[in-house]
Amino acid sequence: MTMQAWMMRRVLVVAGWLFAAMVGVSVQSAAQTPGLYTRWINYTPANGFPTGEVFCVTVDGARVWAGTSHGLVMLEGGRVKKVFTQEDGLAGRAVMSVAVDKESGDVWVGTFGGLSRYSGGKFTNYTNMTSGLANDLVYGVAVQGQSVWVATGAGVNRLDTRTGSWSIFNETNAPFAEPWGYGISVAKEKIYFAVWGGGVLSYDLATQAWKPFTDPDGEMELVLYRNQGLIHNIVSSVSYNEETKTFWASTYFGLSGYDGRNWHNYLTKDSGLASNFINAVHSRGDEVWASTQGGLSELDTRTNTWVSYRRDAKTGRGEILVTHADGSKERIATETSVAHTYILNTDFQGDDIWVATAQGLSHGMRAVRKEQGK
Amino acid sequence: MMGRRGSPVAQMKRWEEAAIGIAAIAMILASLLMVATKPVRVSAAGRGMGATVERLEGRAWYLSPVALQISHDGLWLYVVCEDSDVMLVVDTRAGRVVRSVEVGKRPKGIAISPDGKTLYVSDEASNAVTEIDAQSFAVRRTLAAGWGPVGLTTDRAGEVLYVANTLGNDVSVIDLRTGMERKRLEAGHYPEYVALSRDGSRVYVANLLARLAAPDQPPVSELTVIDCAKQVVAARVDVQGVIQMRHIAELPASAGGYVLVPFMRPKNLNPLVQIPQGGYLTHGVAVIRPARESADGAGSYRVSEVLLDNIDHYYADGFGVAATVEGRWALVTASGADVVSVVDAVKLRGLLVRSAARRMELANRLDSANAIVEGRVATGRNPTDVIASADGRFAYIANRMDDTISVMDMTRRQMVSTIDLGGPKELTRRRRGERLFYNASYCYQGQMACATCHPHEGLSDGLAWSLETPQLGRDVVENRTLYSIAGTEPFKWNGKNPDLETQDGPRTAMYIFRSQGFNSSEVEDLVGYIFSLHLGQNPHVAADGTLTEAQARGRAVFFRDKSSSGAVIPPMQRCYTCHSPLTHFTSRVQVNVGTATKYDTISAFDVPQLEGVVMKPPYLHNGEALELEDIWTLFNPEDKHGLTSDMNKAQLNDLIEYLKTL
Repeated sequence: MTMQAWMMRRVLVVAGWLFAAMVGVSVQSAAQTPGLYTRWINYTPANGFPTGEVFCVTVDGARVWAGTSHGLVMLEGGRVKKVFTQEDGLAGRAVMSVAVDKESGDVWVGTFGGLSRYSGGKFTNYTNMTSGLANDLVYGVAVQGQSVWVATGAGVNRLDTRTGSWSIFNETNAPFAEPWGYGISVAKEKIYFAVWGGGVLSYDLATQAWKPFTDPDGEMELVLYRNQGLIHNIVSSVSYNEETKTFWASTYFGLSGYDGRNWHNYLTKDSGLASNFINAVHSRGDEVWASTQGGLSELDTRTNTWVSYRRDAKTGRGEILVTHADGSKERIATETSVAHTYILNTDFQGDDIWVATAQGLSHGMRAVRKEQGK
Repeated sequence: MMGRRGSPVAQMKRWEEAAIGIAAIAMILASLLMVATKPVRVSAAGRGMGATVERLEGRAWYLSPVALQISHDGLWLYVVCEDSDVMLVVDTRAGRVVRSVEVGKRPKGIAISPDGKTLYVSDEASNAVTEIDAQSFAVRRTLAAGWGPVGLTTDRAGEVLYVANTLGNDVSVIDLRTGMERKRLEAGHYPEYVALSRDGSRVYVANLLARLAAPDQPPVSELTVIDCAKQVVAARVDVQGVIQMRHIAELPASAGGYVLVPFMRPKNLNPLVQIPQGGYLTHGVAVIRPARESADGAGSYRVSEVLLDNIDHYYADGFGVAATVEGRWALVTASGADVVSVVDAVKLRGLLVRSAARRMELANRLDSANAIVEGRVATGRNPTDVIASADGRFAYIANRMDDTISVMDMTRRQMVSTIDLGGPKELTRRRRGERLFYNASYCYQGQMACATCHPHEGLSDGLAWSLETPQLGRDVVENRTLYSIAGTEPFKWNGKNPDLETQDGPRTAMYIFRSQGFNSSEVEDLVGYIFSLHLGQNPHVAADGTLTEAQARGRAVFFRDKSSSGAVIPPMQRCYTCHSPLTHFTSRVQVNVGTATKYDTISAFDVPQLEGVVMKPPYLHNGEALELEDIWTLFNPEDKHGLTSDMNKAQLNDLIEYLKTL
C-alpha cells in the first residue's frame, strides 16, 4: 500500500467517523448500547407551550400531560392541543405533578394552589380551605385503587374518592422527620413517599404500617460505601420497580436504590451519572432514569452501563456520553437534543421518552428501533 | 200413579237441586280459577294488596310505581314499585297484573337486557341491583352497587351494567359476567337516571341537583357522558340555569338525534314575590345534541332549553320522558300537574333550527309550547316514568300516587285505559299528605309543588332563595332539607314559624304558593307526611354503628370542653351546646355565629339540625359554605361558630368525619 493510498484510507476512515457522529448514529455504540435516543422533538413557547419551565410529564395513552410553571399542557398527535390555566379552572398556576387514574380516566393534577381533578372536560379543585387537603403546595400525586395520595408541603394526604374522606399523615402520626412530601410511587402492596429531608417512607396498605428509610449518617453529605443505605435524606422523588422489586430514590446528593436486601448507590465520581443533584427518578425494566441538573442519565442495571444525555448550550446539538461497566467512555454527537440540560422529570410512551426540562418538553425517539422498523 | 221419582213437581225439584249443585260447583271452580288467575306474588309475605288502613298507618305499603320497562314484543310491562319493594308484571293485552316479584328495598329503576331475557331492578335502600329472569321471573342474583342506586342501563352487548348511585354521586360499572363492580365513575350531584345512547357508544347520566357553586350564581347542572368503549367519563355537559334533570330519551338521528332531559328552571335569585308575575319556576326539557369533538377532548354538546309551560299555566316537575320509535313524538310527564305533554318532535326540530342564532332565549320563552306541544293529556296522580311500546302504538305512564298505569294510544294521542295495579284503596294520613306534597295545583298557575324544591323525598334542592323581602339580593336563604325535622321547631332561618302547621298553612299560601293554599285538614296530612321523612341511609355509618378511628376522634372534638391548649372552652363555643344531641343536634334557638352579611337584615339564625348533614350541602343560612370545611376555614374568623381556630387540619378533618355520621 502506497503512502498516498494509506493517507486516503485514513482520511476516509476519519470522514466516516465524523459522518457517523454527525448523523448521530454510531455503529459501534449502537451495537453495544442499543436504543440510544438520538432524535428529539422539543416543545417550547415557539410551538405552543406557555413557558419553557416544564416541571413534570405524564403519559396518558396517546395523550401527554406536561405540568409547567404557567399551566397544564395537553399534547396529542405531536401537537399542543390545549393549555389549561387557572382561568380554565386549574387550582394553581404552577403544575408540579400529574397522575392518571387508569380506571376512570380522571387526571389528578398537583399544583402550588391545591389539587385539581380533570374529568370529562371539567376541573374540580381541592384546597386547604375547601377540603381536607393538608396544604396547597402539592408536589406529588398518585392513584391507588379508590385512593388518591397527595404529597404536600405539610405531609401526605389520602383522599378516599368514594367516601370523600381525607386522611393526613405527618410527623404526628407517621415517622416523618420532615413533613415535606415530594414524590409518591405506588406498588401493589405499598406506597412509597419521597420526603424532603426525611428520606423515603413506605406505607403498607394491608397493615397500615409505616417504615422509614433514611441516611445512616444523617445530614452529612458523604457516602462511605455503596451498601451504606440511603445516600441522603433530601429525597426529591421515588420510583418503585415492580419487576426488579426495587425502589429508587433520587436525592440532591446522588442516586439510591434498595432491592429489599441491598442498597445500590451511585455518585458521579464512580458512575456515569450526569449530576448528583437529581430532581426525579423513574425506573422500568432494567432501566433507571435520573433527571439531573446536569443532564438525563440512564442506568442499564443489567450491563451496568450508563448513558447520559445533555445539550450543548452553544451549538444546540446533543451529546450522549456512554459509560461502560469497565469505566470506558464514548461520546456521541446528535443533531437534535433534549431542550435543556437541566432535567426535571421523565415518562415513557411505549419506547419513546418524554422529558421535562427547564426550557421545554422533549420527545425522544430511539434511533435503532426506528431504523429497524423501516 | 207416579213413583217416588215420578211426580213432575218432585222431578223439577230434583232438577233444581241438581242445577243448584252444578251452579255451586261451577262457582267454586270459577272462584278457584279466579284465585288461580289472580296476581301471584313470587315471594311476598302478607304485604300489599289486602293491607288494611290500620296496618298501613304503621308502614305504607302502597305500590307507588316509579319505573317502567317493556318486553321487546310489547306483551309485558314491568313496573317497579318503590313503596312495596316489588316489580310487577303487567299483561298489556289483558291490562292486569299477572306477577309480582319481590326485590330489594325501595326499588327505583329498571333496565332490560338487550336480548330481553333479563331484568335489572335498582334497590335504592339496599345499595344493590336485583337481577331477574324475564321468563321465569326468578331472582337470579343480587349485585352490589354504590350508595342509593336509582337509574341503570346495560351496554349494547348486555355485558356491562351502569348504575347511577344517587347518594354516592357516582356510577357503578358492573361486569355482568362476574357480577362484580369493575369501577366507579364520579358523576355530578345526585345522579338519578341514565340512558344508553341509540348507537350504544355513550351512557348519559342526568344529575338531579346543580353543581355546588356560589349562592349568588344561577345553578348549573350536569349531564355526565360516559364513553362505553373506554368506560370513562368523556364529558360533563353544562346545562345552565336548571336543576332536577330526570329521565333521558334520545330521538333517532332522523328526528335530529336530540337527547331530551326534563328539568326545572328556578329564578331563585329573584325575590319570591315575583311568583304572581309568572315565570318564577318554569319547567321544560333540555335538548342536547352531541356535536364534534372539542379541543380539550371532552366532546362538544350543543344545549338548548325549551320550556313546556304555557304562559298562564305551568306543568310542574317534569319527570319521565319517552320518544316513539320513529321519533315523531316525545312524551314528557309533569309529575306535579298530572299531565303528559305530547311534544311534536318535528316542530321541536323546526323551533330549534329557527332559534339557532338565539338559542339561549328559548330558555325563558313561555310561548314555545304553543309551537311544539300538540296536546296535554291527563294522567293519574303524580305521573313519573313513561315508556313507549316498540311498535309505537302505545305509551304507558306510571302514576305514583294512585298506583295505576295510564295507557295512551299513540295513534290518537289519547288515554285509552287505566290499569289498576292493585294498591290499597284506603288513604292513610301519610298518603294523603304525600299526594299533597307532589301536587302543584295548589300554587298560583301551578308553578310548583312542595316536591319542586324538596325533590327526592324531602331533599333540599341545594339552592339559595330570595324568600323574605322584595328587595333583590336581600335576605337570601339556603333551602333546608325536610329530613328528621319533627321536634326541631321553630322553622325558617329566622325561626319565626313556631310549627310546621304555620309554615305549610297560611305562610305557604300567602308567601309561596300565592293561592288559597291547603285547608286545615290538608295541612295536618301534609305535616304528617313531612314528619315521616328521614334520610334513608347514611353511607358514612358502619352497619353495626361502630365509628372509625377518625370518626371517634372527631366525636371527641365535637364534645370537647377544652381547647388544644387545655383552656376551658366557653359553653357557647362548644359544638354540642347549640347542636345538642338530645334535640336532633339543634338547640332550637337563633344564634349569631358571625355569618350574617351586609345583605342580611338579621344576624341571628336558627340552629339547623345536623342529622343527615352530609347530604345537604351547601351550608350556613345563605349557602355560602359549599363544603363542611368552609364553615370553619372561611366563615368562622372570630370563633363565633364554635372554637375552631385552635384546631389543626387533621382535627378539623376528624370533626367532619364525625359530622358525616349524624
